[in-house]
Amino acid sequence: MKKIISLFALVATLLVLVPSCVKDLDTVPLDKDVLTPDQVFSDPASYKAFLAKLYAGLSVSGQSGPSGDADISGIDEGFGQYMRGYFYHQQLTTDETVMGWNDQTIKDFHGHVWGSGDNFIAAMYYRIFYQISVANEFIRETTDEKLDSRGVSGDLRTQIAQFRAEARFLRALSYWHALDLFGNVPFVTEKDKVGAFFPQQIQRAALFEYVETELLAIEPEMVGAKSNEYGRADKAAVWTLLAKLYLNAEVYTGTQRYADAVEYSSRVINAGYTLEDKYENLFLADNDQCDEVIFPVTFDGTYTKTYGGTTFIIHAAVGGDMNPADFGIDGGWGGIRTTKSLVQKFYPDVEKGLKVSPTPKSVKDYPVLYVPGSYQDWDPTNTTTVIASVLSDGKYEGYFYFAAGDQFKFTDGPTWDVNYGDTGADGTLDPGGDNISVSEPGVYKINVDLPGLTYTIVKTNWGLIGDATPGGWTDDLDMTYDTASGMLSVVADLTTGSVKFRANDGWDIDFGDTGLDGILEYGGENIPIADAGTYTVSLKVGPPDYTYTIVRSSFDKRAMFHSAGQNLEINDIGTFTEGWAVTKFKNLRRDGTTGSNLIHTDTDFPMFRLADVYLMYAEAVLRGGGGSLAEALNYVNALRTRAYGDDSGNITATELKLDFILDERARELYWEAHRRTDLIRFGKFTTGDYHWPWKGNVPDGTATSSHLNIFPIPSSDIGANPNLQQNPNY
Amino acid sequence: MRMLLVAMMVAFGLQMHAQNVSLTGKVTDASDGFSMPGVTIAVKNSTMGTTTDFDGNYTLGVPAGATVVFSFVGYETQEFVVQKQQTLNVALKAAVTYLNEFVVIGYGQVRKGDATGSVTSVSVKDFNQGVITNPMDLISGKTAGVNITSNSGAPGSGSTIRIRGGSSMTASNDPLFVIDGVPVDNRGIAGTRNPLSTINPNDIETFTVLKDASATAIYGSRASNGVIIITTKKGSNKDGKAIKLDYSGAFSLFTIPKKREVLTGDEFRAMLTEKFGDKPNVLALLGNENTNWQDQIFRQAFGMDHNIAISGQVSKLPYRVSLGYADFDGVLKTDNMKRVSTGIILNPSLFDDHLKINLSAKGTFNMQRFGNEGAIGSAIQMDPTQPVYDEGNIYGGYWTRLQLNGSPVTQSTKNPLALIEQREDKSKVNRFLGNAQFDYKFHFLPELKANLNLGMDRTATYGDIFVPGNASFNFDALDGGGTIGVYEEKKSNELLDFTLTYAKELSTIQSRFDVMGGYSWQHFYRESSSSSTNDTTSPFFVNKIASPLSDFATESYLVSFFGRFNYYFKDRYILTFTLRNDGSSRFSKETRWGLFPSAALAWRIMDEAWMKQFDNLSELKLRVGYGVTGQEDIGVNDYPYMPVYVYGQNTASYQFGNEFYQTYRPGGYDANIKWEETSTINLAVDYGFFRDRIYGSLEFYTRKTKDLINFIPIPAGTNLSNYLVTNVGNLTNTGVEFSINAKPVIKKDMQWEIGFNATFNNNEITKLTAIDDPAYLGVFTGGISGGVGSTIQIFSVGYPSYSFFVFEQVYDQDGKPIEGLYVDRNKDGKITDDDRYHYKKPAPDFTLGFYSKFDYKDWTFSFNGRANFGNYVYDNFNSNNATYERLYRPEGPYLSNVGSDVNEAGFYDPQYTSDYYIKDGSFLKLDNVTVGYSFNDILGKKTNLALSATVNNVFTISKYNGIDPEIFSGIDNLMYPRTRAFVLGLNFSF
Repeated sequence: MKKIISLFALVATLLVLVPSCVKDLDTVPLDKDVLTPDQVFSDPASYKAFLAKLYAGLSVSGQSGPSGDADISGIDEGFGQYMRGYFYHQQLTTDETVMGWNDQTIKDFHGHVWGSGDNFIAAMYYRIFYQISVANEFIRETTDEKLDSRGVSGDLRTQIAQFRAEARFLRALSYWHALDLFGNVPFVTEKDKVGAFFPQQIQRAALFEYVETELLAIEPEMVGAKSNEYGRADKAAVWTLLAKLYLNAEVYTGTQRYADAVEYSSRVINAGYTLEDKYENLFLADNDQCDEVIFPVTFDGTYTKTYGGTTFIIHAAVGGDMNPADFGIDGGWGGIRTTKSLVQKFYPDVEKGLKVSPTPKSVKDYPVLYVPGSYQDWDPTNTTTVIASVLSDGKYEGYFYFAAGDQFKFTDGPTWDVNYGDTGADGTLDPGGDNISVSEPGVYKINVDLPGLTYTIVKTNWGLIGDATPGGWTDDLDMTYDTASGMLSVVADLTTGSVKFRANDGWDIDFGDTGLDGILEYGGENIPIADAGTYTVSLKVGPPDYTYTIVRSSFDKRAMFHSAGQNLEINDIGTFTEGWAVTKFKNLRRDGTTGSNLIHTDTDFPMFRLADVYLMYAEAVLRGGGGSLAEALNYVNALRTRAYGDDSGNITATELKLDFILDERARELYWEAHRRTDLIRFGKFTTGDYHWPWKGNVPDGTATSSHLNIFPIPSSDIGANPNLQQNPNY
Repeated sequence: MRMLLVAMMVAFGLQMHAQNVSLTGKVTDASDGFSMPGVTIAVKNSTMGTTTDFDGNYTLGVPAGATVVFSFVGYETQEFVVQKQQTLNVALKAAVTYLNEFVVIGYGQVRKGDATGSVTSVSVKDFNQGVITNPMDLISGKTAGVNITSNSGAPGSGSTIRIRGGSSMTASNDPLFVIDGVPVDNRGIAGTRNPLSTINPNDIETFTVLKDASATAIYGSRASNGVIIITTKKGSNKDGKAIKLDYSGAFSLFTIPKKREVLTGDEFRAMLTEKFGDKPNVLALLGNENTNWQDQIFRQAFGMDHNIAISGQVSKLPYRVSLGYADFDGVLKTDNMKRVSTGIILNPSLFDDHLKINLSAKGTFNMQRFGNEGAIGSAIQMDPTQPVYDEGNIYGGYWTRLQLNGSPVTQSTKNPLALIEQREDKSKVNRFLGNAQFDYKFHFLPELKANLNLGMDRTATYGDIFVPGNASFNFDALDGGGTIGVYEEKKSNELLDFTLTYAKELSTIQSRFDVMGGYSWQHFYRESSSSSTNDTTSPFFVNKIASPLSDFATESYLVSFFGRFNYYFKDRYILTFTLRNDGSSRFSKETRWGLFPSAALAWRIMDEAWMKQFDNLSELKLRVGYGVTGQEDIGVNDYPYMPVYVYGQNTASYQFGNEFYQTYRPGGYDANIKWEETSTINLAVDYGFFRDRIYGSLEFYTRKTKDLINFIPIPAGTNLSNYLVTNVGNLTNTGVEFSINAKPVIKKDMQWEIGFNATFNNNEITKLTAIDDPAYLGVFTGGISGGVGSTIQIFSVGYPSYSFFVFEQVYDQDGKPIEGLYVDRNKDGKITDDDRYHYKKPAPDFTLGFYSKFDYKDWTFSFNGRANFGNYVYDNFNSNNATYERLYRPEGPYLSNVGSDVNEAGFYDPQYTSDYYIKDGSFLKLDNVTVGYSFNDILGKKTNLALSATVNNVFTISKYNGIDPEIFSGIDNLMYPRTRAFVLGLNFSF
């Protein structure tokens, strides 16, 4: 009986326990990094941390850098990063970039054969709407009612007002990307609460109006130009975006707004930004120091890690024979290169071949005298530091670069057994004599008459001369010596004609190329230059033969290519070594040191910068938006002067034409994700006006269908939202 | 003293009965008078005996006064004391005990004859032989409708189990495991390849598979993919012995049946010279060796397994204590698993058996070193012209391809042996699984029983990973590379079940019924943490780089009320009704409760009077069942309905000014998410012939799942991500199962038992999106190697899950595929993505299982095998590695070995989405062959020594020319090869 009682007691206990156990079902997250909204907003710092997420949405792919807790799904996390997707859409579809990887449909971008099921297009679309949704949530969470209910006041309240304006800016930025890339998209604002519903589709022109209205509305609330913290948007970012919107207004709405483009680009220009002195600094690991950048997307190898952004751009651009260490990274991914269409904007004749000088035949074996010295650690076995006797007559000749104070001797073989110096510096050789020394740095011509036991040493300053040079046969162009390559070289604008090399501004020592075999002879024949153009002319004085190269080159320092081991022509888009590589972005600082991490780069992406605004101003003026043509020319020439290092590349007012602007935008802004929008604005994206290699999936390029001027709404969203209508012809 | 007396009497007895008498007669079936062949006739307490011949006749010489026992499976045993020579005709009656044999079902057990659902049980005597580390291998191929695919040949690796196809898509398709009444969490245990590997297979008594909804619905929201109930061995008081000791040991040798075909060093040099002869920079990358990298990373491996179990009874307390030790090397170098398992079970009965208590505690300690499986892919891609070692280089002396600055080429294939030997990846996993069951029969009302089950399952994992700073595959010139990582996990699962059962016989109306009501509460908790730095002890160390500490905790609760009602009319008509109401913390208050009903009817046709005329028929039962089950296993997030913010790691910060701000992210959520629901209809016939010497069943089923828990794209802009876990989509599985078992020979010295089962299953997605859009292709799935994010499979309406989605290859006259040329299926004149089509799927249409067991005197010989038909495999190894383009990789640059198939297909660029690579994976496998011999009474009475030799994975017959056509995902991408094992087994008991 006792047992029965105890059993009933058990049952009774259970009956009491059951309701409390049902309450167990009300759980809250245990993870300290997963918080309910109430928990989050009880912390005043949360608002800025939430704002940081809106910016970070452009930069990282999730909450765990570089990957692990992605914001969007359905795509590899690195592919789904905002700037990487934007780069794919704006660059891979154009003359500036080809991609060699086999990832899904990635080659469809350059071939202009993408479809509505494309995963990369879906990722960009969803990234854009992710930004919009999160910005909407921020705006909902910072209404006056919410802030009042949480008792937020004072300085924080003032800051939150700025944050809120920036959230609206970021939403407008993404909506601009949406209208530029996709045209007619679903439309959601902070008024649409999180949930399951079907957004209405907005037409492109109406979305233009919404973005314009938003930007104009927030402009007074934004922090003044150049007054915000680095990385955050200010008034100038709003103006730049407005200028972009107006410059492309005809594409978006059918109505020109060039006057507004002039107005807002002027505001940016007058805001006090200055051009960075060295173009290349804009794309380095410490480019946050550039005053030219109006709105960056920031990356950091330690704190802002991603497989997209500049980490992608820099790694994917390195492959083949390129040395990853020259780019501050651990290794290349070998994916993106450029087509000859971009290269030709710097080197118009590049198709005729880069190198115009003949390649020397194999060099003969000549008897040599070894020249060990302080400049090469006194190593008599070094077979590269020798002088040769071309006639095998005991008379040797050669050229060396010596630093001031360098000393040397001659040895008859790779040992010290038989060596000669010059005791007393009298020009006669003494077996076992004193070291011979030079006092000035420079390239020295050395001649030794071994049977006669005499030698001469003459310092030579080399130049390029000829009627193909600007100085004709009277003034030569001085060549400079590069210790690393051991070559003398000069970059010159040459005309059709011929050239020779000479030393010391005279004709005592001069080289020509008799028989055009690539090997120079004293007093040899003139070397012909068939085409006018910019060339890098190099001279290698021994040992033992004296050779030279004349290679097409550019004065424009913006031409940042790697061509060694790369074909200019692209026969197989899947092979990295087909097409020149681009060396513009690097994870190196100005002082040559490497960024903070070899995998994830420190280099920020300059989304808006002054040079772009200069060119937008010039274009809007040329398109009849008013403004000053003279100023436009000044702005363009400011960029040319920076590119050439002097005014030699400047253009005249008559040369300032729209087509020039488009090419100049390519030269100044290539790989900065402007190209597709530019080509569409100029009517050259799909039309037959302009072909580039593999446009339309054919080697020489072909016109493609105009429906490709906007991307399709991803079929997954068409399937999920009955209110959406697919863009035409997809 | 008494013992002595007994011994003397036995001795005398033998003397007295030395005189033999002859016995003849015929054995017939009492129910129909037909003769019974194969009936065993044994003389008690002796080794004498015989069996009846085909006509049921027998002759046997017995000592006068001996007791003769007539026995036959499924029949009541009869005993006769024989004093003189005589004719003894015996009529055996079908045993009621056979029908009374119980099988375990959810929250109870049922007599086999009364079962209304699809319940199949496999017990220890029928287990596959020579099975080593994975308990599921014990029953592989034994049960129709249960497809068990072992995941790899790694020690301790698990299996993918599908019961009647998968009824879910994003949610788990794994069945629910219930171990001794405790439903366990299938979600994996950190530091193990398989949560079940922490269970010692030697402790398992039976597997019971619940297949249809009328059997599983009692498990409600977790039952959609079937239930596997594992019961472990109990203490025994059968023979009242104080102590019984069993030892079993196994010594195994593991080999790899096959390796992937790649080019040798010489072939590689020749091919590279042919293709890149004009490119000196490419040829300069070649080496002079002939290295077979697969030989470098694989080995023959040894394993052993020892188990001691002591069971018996100490003053009315039955107990079982077991201790196991297993130590297995993997065929991948450095791979090893050790397991110490302990168990103690006490089964006291109190108050005249009114209170039965089952106390069970199992502790398992797994120690594992994981061989680096990444080396398997590397071994196949690694340049075969390079040496294994480069003595004296800074990367541990393993040959490494270097950049100009002396750093390793990051994109290059890494030295496979370095990957293995320079990575120490170890774990310790401790698991405690205990429960206390109290089964109380009320004194005042014996028909009423109460059962309380308290269960607990806890695991603790400690893992560490070390890669030295000089490892080329983890090199960091800036900060110093390598990894020192640790991780921990603690999981717990607590259970309280309480049931009341009332059973009553109502003989007046020829009825009986039982009714059960219960309550269950279960709590799952998991916390984990991990952290790592670079190798701070390395000479290359520069700066400490600590990856962010990740720590995580989550929990969920399940509270349930359930009941079952069984009604038996005339013992021929059986009705079962069950109902479960589950509440889950994973869903919001509004959607958290789900009701899961089932009903089933069984009709024992055989027991109808008019069936007597069918002489050879011994069993005929019809079963019809319907039920609804659910699925709540939605993945890692236990709070999918709740708006939450996730704080970002410091490596995902954003720069404002000179400061980096960690961020808050609002997450996407579906406030309305709920269970997915599967309704099942089951129709079955159980049959038996010739007194059940042949028996089996035939079943038909359809399972329709609606509101699939699905991870799918939602309308852009409506939520805080683009994909959400939500309820969209429907799925149907339809199938037929057939099983037949036979005993062709039943003689005293010779018995032969064979079995065969076949399953047909068809899976089809019937709805996928909120809106029916015929243009919507579906959800891409099935990621492949080669091109990040590339997929080969798709979920599409009207097709099976995971259908391959490919282009149709065009072939030339010689049957060679033409690179890049596909059939323009939509006839628009262009080959675009729209020309892809659904072609085959990885799941088999038919699966067959078979076994044979032959005993002759002390010898036993058995084998079992399986066959799959209609399962297709995407040969990702060749699609990714057998192209000329693969040879030279400019992103390094480096060289990569290629599959020999490059000579067959002749592709230059990869053609990932060509149906050329979709291959028929149908196969026939002989899983096990065992020969055994037992020495009886070797060390005195009742001592037994059995020796056995087993070969596992004996052979595979298949057209597929990869290593193994049995690939669950259907994507053949270099899995850890399944091993062929040679096992020597030893069992000793007294």
